[in-house]
Amino acid sequence: MISRYVSLLAVRSAARGALRLIRLAAAAALIVAAAPVSLVAAGSATAAWLRGWPPGRLYRAAAGCLPMVVVWLAATAVATRSWRSVAAAPYLAWLAMWHHAAAGSYPDAAAIIAPAAVPLGLLAGGLAWSYRIRSMETGSGGLSPGSAVAFDWRQWRHQVRSARAMIAAPGSLPLTTQNGAVVAGAVIRAIGHQAGRVAEIPYPRMRSHQVVIGTTGTGKTTLLLRLWAGFMATALRRHAAGLGHPPLLVVLDCKGGADARRIADRARRVLRGAGARATAIWPDEASLSLWTLPPRQLTTTLLDLIEHGTGAAAYYADVMEAVVALAVDAPCGPPAGAADFLARLDPGWLNLAYAAGRNDSDLALVRSAARQFGDIALRFRTLFRRLGGGLDGPGGFGDADAWYCILEGTAEISVAEGQARALVDLLASYAAGPDGSGQAREILLAVDEFSAVSRRLPIWQLYERARSLGLAVQVSAQSWQGLAADDDERYRIAASADGGIWLLRTPYPEPVTGLAGTRKLVDTTRRLLGVPIWGHQGTSRIASAPVADPALIRSLDVGQVAYIYRGGVTFIQVKRLIGGPAALAAPARATAPQPGLAAHGQLPQGPPAGREPDVSEPDDGEPDVSEPDVSELLDEAFGAEAGP
Amino acid sequence: MIPAEGTAAPRPPSDEASSDVAGSGITGRDVAGSGVTGRDVARPGITGRDVAGLLFAAEMYGVQLDQLAAVLRVSESRARAIAARWRRQRYAESARLGPGAPWLWLTRAGLASCGLPYTCAPPALSRLAHIRAVAAVRLALESASGYRAAGAYWRSERRLRARLGGRVGLRDHLPDGEVHWPDAAPVAWAGECWAVEAELTRKTVSRTAAIMGELLSRTGDYGCAAADAAVPGRPPRHARVLYLCSPAARPTVIRAREALGSAAARVEIRALPPGAAMEPAVRPAAGQQAARQPSTGQPSTGQPSTGQPSSGQPGTAR
Repeated sequence: MISRYVSLLAVRSAARGALRLIRLAAAAALIVAAAPVSLVAAGSATAAWLRGWPPGRLYRAAAGCLPMVVVWLAATAVATRSWRSVAAAPYLAWLAMWHHAAAGSYPDAAAIIAPAAVPLGLLAGGLAWSYRIRSMETGSGGLSPGSAVAFDWRQWRHQVRSARAMIAAPGSLPLTTQNGAVVAGAVIRAIGHQAGRVAEIPYPRMRSHQVVIGTTGTGKTTLLLRLWAGFMATALRRHAAGLGHPPLLVVLDCKGGADARRIADRARRVLRGAGARATAIWPDEASLSLWTLPPRQLTTTLLDLIEHGTGAAAYYADVMEAVVALAVDAPCGPPAGAADFLARLDPGWLNLAYAAGRNDSDLALVRSAARQFGDIALRFRTLFRRLGGGLDGPGGFGDADAWYCILEGTAEISVAEGQARALVDLLASYAAGPDGSGQAREILLAVDEFSAVSRRLPIWQLYERARSLGLAVQVSAQSWQGLAADDDERYRIAASADGGIWLLRTPYPEPVTGLAGTRKLVDTTRRLLGVPIWGHQGTSRIASAPVADPALIRSLDVGQVAYIYRGGVTFIQVKRLIGGPAALAAPARATAPQPGLAAHGQLPQGPPAGREPDVSEPDDGEPDVSEPDVSELLDEAFGAEAGP
Repeated sequence: MIPAEGTAAPRPPSDEASSDVAGSGITGRDVAGSGVTGRDVARPGITGRDVAGLLFAAEMYGVQLDQLAAVLRVSESRARAIAARWRRQRYAESARLGPGAPWLWLTRAGLASCGLPYTCAPPALSRLAHIRAVAAVRLALESASGYRAAGAYWRSERRLRARLGGRVGLRDHLPDGEVHWPDAAPVAWAGECWAVEAELTRKTVSRTAAIMGELLSRTGDYGCAAADAAVPGRPPRHARVLYLCSPAARPTVIRAREALGSAAARVEIRALPPGAAMEPAVRPAAGQQAARQPSTGQPSTGQPSTGQPSSGQPGTAR
């Protein structure tokens, strides 16, 4: 009995072995018979593995070969005038290929079979590569327990290498696309987003709130400059086409110091390349006027700029509010500057101002607060001295396409907080301006190094009403903790970022990656037959995994960023923008048109839409032909030119 | 017609607001140039000469009576009588704003009659010297035979500023005027557009060089989309920049031009013409004045000059 059972087992094993051999032989025969298809499939799958391509790219390549197939079949139909010949064309080509190969004419053989073999090979390669990726993702593939991890890490390296090669190629990545999307860089990997080679951010997302988090030295400034330039270029193009209002970019660099000024200069050059006519650098080169605020808003802002205590100090806060309101709402109109305002913090001035209007209640208020006037004036005099003249000069946000405001948040935190508060109030007032001037701008407020001023700048309040003002807010910080003072505000800011969250390398990405959510995937367990070989038996189950892997975020290299949006994440290698100096174009020629220039009276073709502004050698304007001599005319009008 | 924004050689903007004076069908250039008499103008009491003077005063913010006499080609006493008539007709106002002859500027009714959308205001005291200098430059240039033969057109700073509609950016620099040379003009520089700058006071070399660079690199018209203002690769708007300098500003302007490199070939520097100063410091010799008149073709303005701004003049904006 036992011997019979053993024999049965032996027969079953032999049969299984034979069946397996037959399968292998059949597969080998099929591979050999379809050698051209097999070769293309193997080559394409290997290329996809080496470059980290998704299978979809091979499918698209196969689809791209279809015109070749159509032309081939059409040529066959025309030559043979028989539909049967067309139907049999692949088989006949296969036969002819083997005949030519047998005769040693390999190029002819390849040419004959290529129209059929290339698309089929690409399709087969894509399917094989897809199967491989899926089996490794689910844990059902690989020879050892660490195979899936090693495969994923190796693929990441390959994808990064491809993305870096793409951004290094000149002209491969424009600043914007034809449809106005901002190109951030080359895609490394996409999960939950459409996989493409170029990371395109649609313009409406640039008009929504965004958050950028990344530690120093991870490429945050490079990313921000690219986003700002893309916003400016697209908005200007839309405005020129009559599709939108002119843009206004306001950057609050809350770090300050020499580094901020270097970045400001870089931003100005980059923005100029993107089309911005004027970039004002505050307070170094331009000023704004706090006194253009509406009186009620001016009173509130002035009071908010001064820190008040609690408890008994609340009494003095009330007195101060009353005095400031009297000074601002004086019958002669609001103050025109800091000196004017300080001059009004005097009982004599206020008595005189309100006496004419017989405002008895106001005069009584002045008399009752007379003893505090000196202290209040002292506090405001100190405040204005610390704030500097940047908020006291002429000018408004409407004077330039972009404002780069430098706040000394590292050296003087309290001053930076006050300045940030005043600037945001000014911008909000401009955006909601009674004359409608601000509402006719598409405004992007970017607050860089927000942690320096987050204590007193309630930006989430601005977040919530910004939409109605046509104002988008982009907040950047070095860490999750730097976004706001407490978790409640941090989550408010991050959850309102409907334009997406940009996450660079940071040591604590979990709260943000948690916002990206989870995805379902198949988790497979397999039996371990021996070290380190796995068996093919096991179980699979549906499990949840984070869309944005925190471990991957922590290991991001410089210039790599994870863009989290709507439950998906795209890892991007950011393309650096380099701003050039303003170029002097070559002079026009009326009498001697230069070759290559358009005919007189016609515009030469400008740069293509979304052309990279990081251009280029500045043209020094050197004429190719000599200038016409105008000295006779000028001598007649103004006399001869003399030396200095 | 004005070419598309960013073209290399803008033409005289004949379709702009003032091109058709008060609906009469006569352009300001026609009147200022030649050949239009009072009979051609439909408005009663206004002659072609009046139109030329009113347009000049409107475009230049205001004009002193001695320069108005040069524009109208009459004596200064006759110019005073014409100005008095304009005041009676409520087209203009006049007052003695600073040293020298009284100033005349157009009222709202005068600007409306000229079809000019400018804001009515007397010339700013701080800009009187500059306004006078620019007017003198324009008069000198318009008196040159090549200018008249070419039918060139002066586009004033006020017109450029009006095109911007109050959107002058912080670093935007408007030239004091543009000279447009028609395509068919019998000169070698036909089709070009020149920027004109009158420099009375000295700036820093870097600032002056920056202004020169901006003027030379500009590709779009004033008031165009910001993206078209300076597009690398496009032909520049200004083929040349013409600097008319006071003796004080001249060294700075020359050094700034040298800092431009090869683009310096497109910058022409000359001295301000006689009569550009608000009030002469020294009366020139009679022989010098007499020698100057025939070459410029300007009528006597009755104001001797040295081409140097006086120390007592109001602050200059440039």
